[in-house]
This record gives sequence, structure tokens and C-alpha cells, in this order.
Amino acid sequence: MAYLIPAEFVTKMVDAGESKIFMSTRDTLIRAFMAGAILALAAVFAVTVSVQTGSPLAGAMLFPVGFIMLYLMGFDLLTGVFVLTPLAWLDKRPGVTISGILRNWGLVFCGNFAGALTVAFMMAFVFTMGFDAPAGPVGEKLAGVGEARTVGYAAHGVSGWLTIFLRGMLCNWMVSMGVVGAMISTNVSGKVIAMWMPIMLFFYMVFEHSVVNMFLFPFALMMGGDFSVMDYLLWNEIPTALGNLVGGLAFTGLTLYSTHYKTAPKRDLLNTSSYSTNKKAA
Amino acid sequence: MGLHLNIGQYSTAGRKSINQDFIDYSMPARALLQEKGAVLAIADGIGSSQVSQIASETAVRSFILDYFATNPAWSVQHAGQQVLQACHRWLYQQNRQSSYGQDPDKGYCCAFSAVIFRQKQAHLFHVGDCRIYLYRQSRLSQLTRDQRVWQANQLLLSQALGAQSSILPDYQQLDVAVDDLFLLASDGFFEFIEQKKLAEVLAQANQDVDLTEVAQRLAEIALTNGSDDNISVQLAFVTQLPTETTLPGGSLEELPLPPLLHEGSQFDGLTVIRVLSQSNRSHLYLVELPAGQQAVLKAPSLELAADDSYLESLLREEWIANRVHSPYVLRAASIEHHRTALYSLFEYIPGETLHQWRLRQPQPDLNQVIDIVEQAGKALQALHRAEILHQDIRPDNVMLDQQGQVRVIDFGAARLAGLQADHEVAGLIPGTALFTAPEYFTGQAGSTQSDLYSLAALCYYLLTGQSPYGPDIARCKNLPAQQKLSYRPLIGQNADWPEWLDLTLQKALQVDPLKRYQHLSEFLYDLRHPNPGLWRELTLQVAYPVRIWQTICYLQTLLILWLLLVVN
Repeated sequence: MAYLIPAEFVTKMVDAGESKIFMSTRDTLIRAFMAGAILALAAVFAVTVSVQTGSPLAGAMLFPVGFIMLYLMGFDLLTGVFVLTPLAWLDKRPGVTISGILRNWGLVFCGNFAGALTVAFMMAFVFTMGFDAPAGPVGEKLAGVGEARTVGYAAHGVSGWLTIFLRGMLCNWMVSMGVVGAMISTNVSGKVIAMWMPIMLFFYMVFEHSVVNMFLFPFALMMGGDFSVMDYLLWNEIPTALGNLVGGLAFTGLTLYSTHYKTAPKRDLLNTSSYSTNKKAA
Repeated sequence: MGLHLNIGQYSTAGRKSINQDFIDYSMPARALLQEKGAVLAIADGIGSSQVSQIASETAVRSFILDYFATNPAWSVQHAGQQVLQACHRWLYQQNRQSSYGQDPDKGYCCAFSAVIFRQKQAHLFHVGDCRIYLYRQSRLSQLTRDQRVWQANQLLLSQALGAQSSILPDYQQLDVAVDDLFLLASDGFFEFIEQKKLAEVLAQANQDVDLTEVAQRLAEIALTNGSDDNISVQLAFVTQLPTETTLPGGSLEELPLPPLLHEGSQFDGLTVIRVLSQSNRSHLYLVELPAGQQAVLKAPSLELAADDSYLESLLREEWIANRVHSPYVLRAASIEHHRTALYSLFEYIPGETLHQWRLRQPQPDLNQVIDIVEQAGKALQALHRAEILHQDIRPDNVMLDQQGQVRVIDFGAARLAGLQADHEVAGLIPGTALFTAPEYFTGQAGSTQSDLYSLAALCYYLLTGQSPYGPDIARCKNLPAQQKLSYRPLIGQNADWPEWLDLTLQKALQVDPLKRYQHLSEFLYDLRHPNPGLWRELTLQVAYPVRIWQTICYLQTLLILWLLLVVN
């Protein structure tokens, strides 16, 4: 049986959220580092494909391999934990606190950033023969991305900031569907198909993903992009991360949680009492 | 047409003063006979012991009782072996706890053989030197092999229940035919009768003969031939076999999973009243049995449908619920119920879990909490007496019914002595991060002290809504990290709680299982009574001996420096 019913995979989401909060610092950092690095590599791959084929669709269709690889390996992205960990808190799991959630987000942010930076440095080195030669068409394409999506937004002021925030929301609505996709099936092919669809959509639509951007912008800076670190943080990374948090949690986490986990009881439970409407299992 | 047997048995002390053999059989009514079959069992307590008659009676009685308590989805072989191992471990444990631990020859040990007739097969279980014979078409054949070895010119038992830490029971299965006659006997019988003579007497048996008389006649022959041991004989004549088998094989692999059920679904004669929960672990339904009473049907989740070890533990849960008789432990609902799929049935407890209760009671009453913990403690004591560790005590696994009575539920992570638990095979940690004893995280096996830890953590949680070491405990996966954890005292969180309660909980929640209470009963007693001994035990010097001496040394160093520099 490859497809699980929603009540099952949503319980898995809450359980996963709880276990991430109780994960040791070491494991959280390692898993976040690897996730950031693999996703960064996939971004290079996807841009290479679109430059070489001249078709952004080809790049978008192949980008999900990175996301799939890292989730099959059990690594964690900031966008994923944004959605999963608050569910454990909402479910009032013992020991789950706001500070525990923030701790997890902080560690995953740092891990993802370190992983993405590592790949950014390695790829910059590789594209330029150790900063000794021109970067070539792929390198230049990547370097050019940074400017348009920082200074470009800044030029529109508050509207620009809100645009990037909304793009972040739209992005993690889709990406967190991918995270859920990894849970709705018991076999690898089922998981892969379920993860593929939303990730392809987000990448083709150029929505803003906080972890992909942790690679793109530092890489662009290394390649000589004409914007500052503060431009990147204020006009990209921060609104993107906030948008990711709101979008993923509101559109995916909370909706699935409310309708499939906290299913409204059909009858009055007070008279018949209950084993628990949905919590207890075994 | 179903299975029918003509059974007779006889046991006598013979020339000995006490009868250390024990025999019994069970031929249940139709429904259970069809599901589980009929059982004959014989045990022969070892002659060198003064108490082995207790062992043989316990082995036979608990084997029969326990076998009928197992889930019908288990194969006969699996159920029989599990039950036999549990009997063995219980006897072995009694020996270790008594003065016979060093010398099992004087303890609770016995040879044991049993036959289970189910559908058209007979299943034989054998440990030691009783014998099972088959008399078929005028030919007598011995089905079991005596488990004996020569040692120092003596023929000794190589295996016996209760004697060594592990046993390997012989098992075989054979097809039964109408007119087959099975004979189970102890060595006081078969060593004193010739095979020819035995065959002659057995030839007279048929469906109309009173086999108890035949058994008695056989015993008398052995006695006349000079038997100086207890003599026991059991006879089972197959008069009728079922025309068709009603179960699809009865093994785990062959029974399908139940379909997804909804309110009003009919399944196996059960009517679903309500879906209680569907999670990635299991699906729980409130159902109505044909007899009208309500029960909870626990079915595997789709996610774990292909996980054999999980399915195994789901079925074992029902056996555990049947095996432990305590008002504080969840009971199974109906073992006789004919099943066409893999699931377990438990009694329905109208009420709420302690997790839900705690959410409703942010300021719980101390007395009520202690009352709950005491009841849960009694449940654990009942489980421990049956050599079972629960291993997953947490607020979600303890129910409180409308009368305020506690039931411990969910034996999915339970470990039966002598049987390897599934999570051990998979290397998984049982239970839930905040309530699991720290030793599980460092790869140690659990003990009754681990359940004690979880119970004390539950008590702490009910009082404070928190964990005694905070969430950090779940992140510490090695001993040095665990030893750095510090217990968060209750004092200061609520002025009404007595100080000594803190010491009681602290003692029960020690990271090192050896430093906890050694018996659950001591903890339960100390929950209501101040224990002055604990103050001394848990004061600074004992709790942190190294730190105390280090501090004294630093102070001395400072004193010496002061003397050198200032006084000079």
C-alpha cells in the first residue's frame, strides 16, 4: 500500500516535528549542513541545465532531484522545520516549548547557511579555476541573479519588500508540500513523485526559497555581484525567510493539521466520552 | 463437523510420597475449539527437588491458560513457543530469587511435553524426558526424543523448564487421522512397560472406551512392573476431524490486514460505532461485538502494514492484556472471536488519557496525582510479576476512566522476559523521549527500574507539566552528557508540595538505574510518607562527592597562599 491516508501522514508530520525539537545539537547541525549543501548543488545543476539547453523549464524539471536526495537521506531544511515543529507545539506535546522551536530553527538556519556557503565557495573556485579565469556562461548567469533580486526589489521600496515576502510565502507553500510528499507514501517511488510536483512548480515560478538563496547570493557576491551583504540580508534573506515561515505554516502545516488531525468530531463527545478524538494511538 | 477427541488421563504418586507429576487438558467449547484447538500437557518435576511439584503444576496450568489467551492470528507453533518460553522464564526467575538459584536441581524445575490439536494437525512441544507416542494403524511410534545426557555415569536431563537461562523446546507438527491415538507419559511409566504390552493395551482403545480407565490400567501395569517413580499417562483418541479448515492457514503472513473501516462498517461480525483515531502507528475503532458489548479494535496502520515485527507486537499486545490480571491493566475483549484479518480486540474504557486530563487540570490536586500514580504503579507491579516490562509509560498510555480508575494501556513496546523484543532487533529505543529512562539512550537493556523512572517522570509531569531534566534529556545520547544533567526541583514551583516529595522523585529519577529505588513498592510508599534516609542520601556530599573534595582543595590552596603571602 503506497499511499497513506491523510490522518496517518499528518500524525507523522506532528511526530516528526516533535522529534526535531528533541534532536541533539550535533545531529541538527549535521543534517542541516548537508541539506543546505545538497540543495545548493542542485541549484547549480538546475541553472547549468537551463543555460545549456536554453530552457528554464528543463532546469525546473530537474531541480527537484536535489530536494529529493536530501529528504531521502533524512536531512533537514529550514523551510521544512518551519512547518513541522510548530505542529508539535500546537498539539501540546510534553516538553515542546517556543524556545525549543526557536532553538531548532536557529540551528537549522546556521547549518543550512554553512552548507550552502561551502558549496558556494567550492563552485566559485571550480568555475574560475581558483579565481584565476572568467567564470563562463553558467557562472555569469548565477552571478547576475543576485543583483536583480536584491537591488531590484529595493528600488520598489515597501512594495518590493512585500513582493519578495509574498514570493517567499508562495515558495514554502509549495516546498512544504514537498516535505509532506516525503511522508505520504511508504515506498521510494511514491515519495519521489509526491516531492517532485511542488518543487518543480516553485522553481519554475522563481519563488524565493531562503536556503537556495543562501547559496545564490553569497555565490553572486564571490563572483563580483554589485550589491552588499546588507542588501542581501535586508532585501532578500530576511523577507524570504519570513515569507517562507508564514506561507509554509499557514497554507500547508495549519491547514492539514486542522482538517486531518484535529478533525471536528461528528457527534457530541461529552456524552459518549472518548478515547481521544485523534491524539492517542500507540 | 468439527474436531472431536476422546480424552482420558491418570496420574499417581506410585511408591513415592508425593506426586511431582502434573497433567491436565483443555477441550474448549465449539468456537474456541475451532480457533485455538484442544491442549494436553504433562510435566514431571525433577526428583532431586522438594518443590518441583509446584513447578510442574504451574507449567501445565499456565501453558494451557496462556495458550488460550494468545491472539488467534498467531500460528500454533509461535503461540506455543512464546507461551512455553514465558513459563520457563517465570520458573527460572523464581529459582533465582529463591535459595535454589545456586542449585537448580533442588528448585522449581520440570520436564514438559504438550500436544495441541488444531484443525487437522497436531503440534508437539517438548522439553526434557516425558514422551509422546502415536498409536496409528496398530503401530506404536515414539514421536519425541528424550533430552538426556550422560554425565558422571548418570543419565541427566539436558533441558528442563526453569533450570537454565534459555531453553530450546523441540517442536513438530503432523497431520492427524481419525482413529489416531496419542499418548503422553512420564518416565515413571514408560521405563516400566514393554512396548509390546503397551501396544496391546492401546489396541483396545476406541471412541467408546473410557480412556481414563485405560490410563489407570496402564499405570497399574507400570507399578506392578516395579516403577518407583510417579506415574502419569494421558490418552487422546481422535474420533472426528473437521471436514474443512476454517482459517486461511492461521499464520501471520497469510492473514490479510483489515480494510479501512468507517462509522457503521460491518466487519467480521463487528459493527464500527466510531473511529477513535487513525495515526501512523495504528487505527483504533470503537466496535460492537456480536454479543452486544463494546470493544476497541486495534488495526495496523497502512504505514506499518508491511512491518512484520510491528504486526507481531500488535498481536502480542492482546496476549499480554489477557495474561496480566489486574484492575489497572487494560484487558483484551474477546479471544474467541473468529477473525479473518490481523487485529487485536481490547476492552473499551470510556475516559481520557492522562495527557488530556493534564491539559484540563493546569493546577492538579496533589492527592489526586499521587492516587493516579499509585494505581499506575500497581499496574506496573502486576506486569512485572508476570515478567513483563511495559517500557512506554507516558501520559498518552495511561487512561483515566469516568470513575477515576486508572488503566495502563498500549503494550506495543512491552518486553517479555525470554523473548527478544522487536525494537531490540531493530536497535530502536522504546517509548517516548521525555519519559524513557536514560539507560535506553546509551544502549543498555531495560529493567524494572526503567519502568520506575518512567512512572516517576509521569508523576513529575502531572504535577508540573514539565520533564524533570527538561527537554535536554532527549538530546543526551551518552553517559557523560547524561551525568551532567541536573534534576529540577519541585520546590519553588508550588508552595503546597512537601519538600520530601521532591527527594522521593529525585531518588526515583536518578540517571543511574542502580541509584534508584530497587523496588517499585518502596517508591509508592515514599510517595505518601517522608523518608528521612533520603535526605542524607541525596545531600550534596553523596550526590557530588568529587565536587565537594575539589572545593575543599581549592579552599586549602587559597588558605596556604594567604598564609605564605600575608602572614609572612
